[in-house]
Amino acid sequence: MGQRKRPGARGSLTSATPGRIALPARKSAKHNVCMVSDFFYPNMGGVESHIYQLSQCLIEKGHKVIVVTHAYGNRKGIRYLSSGLKVYYLPLQVMYNQSTVTTCFHSLPLLRCIFVRERITVVHAHSSFSAMAHDSLFHAKAMGLNTVFTDHSLFGFADVSSVLTNKLLTISLCDTNHIICVSYTSKENTVLRAALDPEIVSVIPNAVDPGDFTPDPSKRDDGKITIVVVSRLVYRKGIDLLGGIIPELCLKYPDLHFLIGGEGPKRIVLEEVREKYQLHDRVRLLGALEHKDVRNVLVQGHIFLNTSLTEAFCMAIVEGASCGLQVVSTRVGGIPEVLPEDLITLCEPTVGSLCEGLELVIGRQRAGTAPPPAAVHSRVRTLYTWRNVAERTEKVYDRVATAAVLPLDQRLRRLRARCGPVAGSIFALMAVLDFLFLLLLRWLVPDSLIDVAVDATGPNGLWTQTWKG
Amino acid sequence: MFCFDNTFSAVSEKIIFFELILDNMEDLEGGDPDWKEYVHGTDMLDMKLEDIMAMGADGGSEAAPATPWRKVLYERQPFPDNYVDSRFLEELRRNVGVRRYRYCAVAREAGLVAQQVSCVAAVLTLWSYMAQGRLSPFMLLGASLLCALLGYVLYEALGGPRGSERTRWADLQSAAIFLAFTFGFSPILKTLTESVSTDTVYAMSAVMLLAHLVSFPYAQPSPPGSLSLNAALFGSVCLASRLPGALHAFAMLTCALLVFALWPCLLHRLRNRAPWTFPWAAVLLSLAAVTGLATLSLGGALLLVLALLALTLLCPLLLLRLQRHKDNIHGPWDEAEIHEDLSRFLH
Repeated sequence: MGQRKRPGARGSLTSATPGRIALPARKSAKHNVCMVSDFFYPNMGGVESHIYQLSQCLIEKGHKVIVVTHAYGNRKGIRYLSSGLKVYYLPLQVMYNQSTVTTCFHSLPLLRCIFVRERITVVHAHSSFSAMAHDSLFHAKAMGLNTVFTDHSLFGFADVSSVLTNKLLTISLCDTNHIICVSYTSKENTVLRAALDPEIVSVIPNAVDPGDFTPDPSKRDDGKITIVVVSRLVYRKGIDLLGGIIPELCLKYPDLHFLIGGEGPKRIVLEEVREKYQLHDRVRLLGALEHKDVRNVLVQGHIFLNTSLTEAFCMAIVEGASCGLQVVSTRVGGIPEVLPEDLITLCEPTVGSLCEGLELVIGRQRAGTAPPPAAVHSRVRTLYTWRNVAERTEKVYDRVATAAVLPLDQRLRRLRARCGPVAGSIFALMAVLDFLFLLLLRWLVPDSLIDVAVDATGPNGLWTQTWKG
Repeated sequence: MFCFDNTFSAVSEKIIFFELILDNMEDLEGGDPDWKEYVHGTDMLDMKLEDIMAMGADGGSEAAPATPWRKVLYERQPFPDNYVDSRFLEELRRNVGVRRYRYCAVAREAGLVAQQVSCVAAVLTLWSYMAQGRLSPFMLLGASLLCALLGYVLYEALGGPRGSERTRWADLQSAAIFLAFTFGFSPILKTLTESVSTDTVYAMSAVMLLAHLVSFPYAQPSPPGSLSLNAALFGSVCLASRLPGALHAFAMLTCALLVFALWPCLLHRLRNRAPWTFPWAAVLLSLAAVTGLATLSLGGALLLVLALLALTLLCPLLLLRLQRHKDNIHGPWDEAEIHEDLSRFLH
């Protein structure tokens, strides 16, 4: 595991593995990584599964990984997930949408304690919506730790709220060592939002577990055509468009059925449409789906429809394609980058264009010229794997480990230079206060007095031994 | 030419350029033409030290990528993850759909704001006259009714889309109901704020009239927005309760309703049907308000003139100036907007 094969041994195609950032001659060092985000299990979503899967793969590669998030209801303290992935659920107050309150300072004692106990070398924060992630970056820089940030979402520039959040992102990222984005569009977006040097932004896509999403043509009824939609039923997912597509196509094709999984405030739109056009037997609303049930829903359909209005990467279409479905999607955000042209039909985000795209695919399905599910699956299964993501992330860590963390004076200078005279000065002051607070904490409880946590993770970690023993 | 960029170095940041002179070009051309296939213009230049070292580590078998970079994720491309192509941000658009304003047009539209300010000033002047006893309520009532009648005739004469089943009889009915109720309740209105100090009443009406000006729906003044109309009428009620008699209060409220509720409707129709009349109406109204105020206080009138000029002449200029600094960026990351009317599927 530790001795990674040089790509040259595997032929010229793989020798061109993307993500060759670090010096390949040196053997990859072991990192002690701390993933920080407000979003983690039991909350469900893209960021949560990203952190979990990435952590698992990094542990498999011999790194030490811990996850830090806030307490979810009764779930607080320390929990262990599979392969000994240690999760700290910190008692911090949740403010809005599972994001914690931030004062820039109050989380320092807890986070410092964790970083020191676990001998963390790299702090990896996730999601720009997470206040805790930004806090941890701020404290990690004060403590002289290397920092990496993964941005999972796209953001506009036009309204007041985005002007404010973009300013905060600029401040948070101006002295972060490396940033990871999930698609090229997301990279452009983040570089513009945070005024970054594009060289320190890497693109590492998300992945899906192809083993979880296998096709099963026997589950679908070929006597009719089923369109599957699996998404949260919210405005940003374009559910209003879906409410226009359903009656339009159902009137045209009597054998067309819709299967809609997910829950949200826009459910009422779909219910009204179903009511008005009397489509109760053809439009089924399944409600919220558990992650393990998603595959069983997907395999019942022929066509996967995604109507999102904005999307950084869109795992859903990869999951749909992996289950062998024909994918029809809006051409927004990073979606055009995700699947090869012959596996996806891209449409403009209008009812007319989406209906056209769907009709094209329905025609193909009826004529029997659509590629068989197994063929689609075999093409998709190798595109995005978590192992690959972990390998590329590891290279980012290798690179970050060699980079120096800015000392306080240079941090202050950079804040003033990059973030404008007003916000820059305010946050420079915050950085100084944070540093003083850190000195106080170090005086009260010196690092040497903090116990070192036992590392249970990894292939030969204590975790597996205790279970075996 | 090679360029070594060590911006990642902790010690110093500098970029060093090397000129690589191949002095045995003929030899290479003759002997091993293969390498040339891999060198395509700038590909070589964009390489980093790491890439070159990686090539070394791979035994030099791998040359610079021959395939151009594509903005796709599904293909493993021979570029590092932090590679920045020359096509980076090529889909960035600036100031899409920005309207170029013409000064005259903006100034003309700003006239609407100015005339609304004048309306408030005019109502306050009338109130002040009544409070001082220099204007009898009968006179104000008579003038108001006359104006209302003239306005109604003008409104009808201009024609335009009528409310579906609204007849003249219905209009007369509502007018009668309003007059009767206001007249009946005017003694109550008169004593409504007796227990409140006069300063509070004045402050409240000032705030309310300001709220009226701020919340007035300038883009679609007919019918007047509920918030602005309510604020204006509340302010008027407060003021009316400080007048000497119940009849005064009644006249004041009738006048306020005329100015704040009915005049915007007439003005809107004037602007739609006979656009040339609008600047005249606005100027006349402003002049009337200024002269009215001048008879009370010269300083106030001067301030009003300055405010009106600033609103109609200076503010549009400022808007045009600031428009130049507009730098709005758009790109594929923007949330798509739904422009169609999707409610037709629901109702």
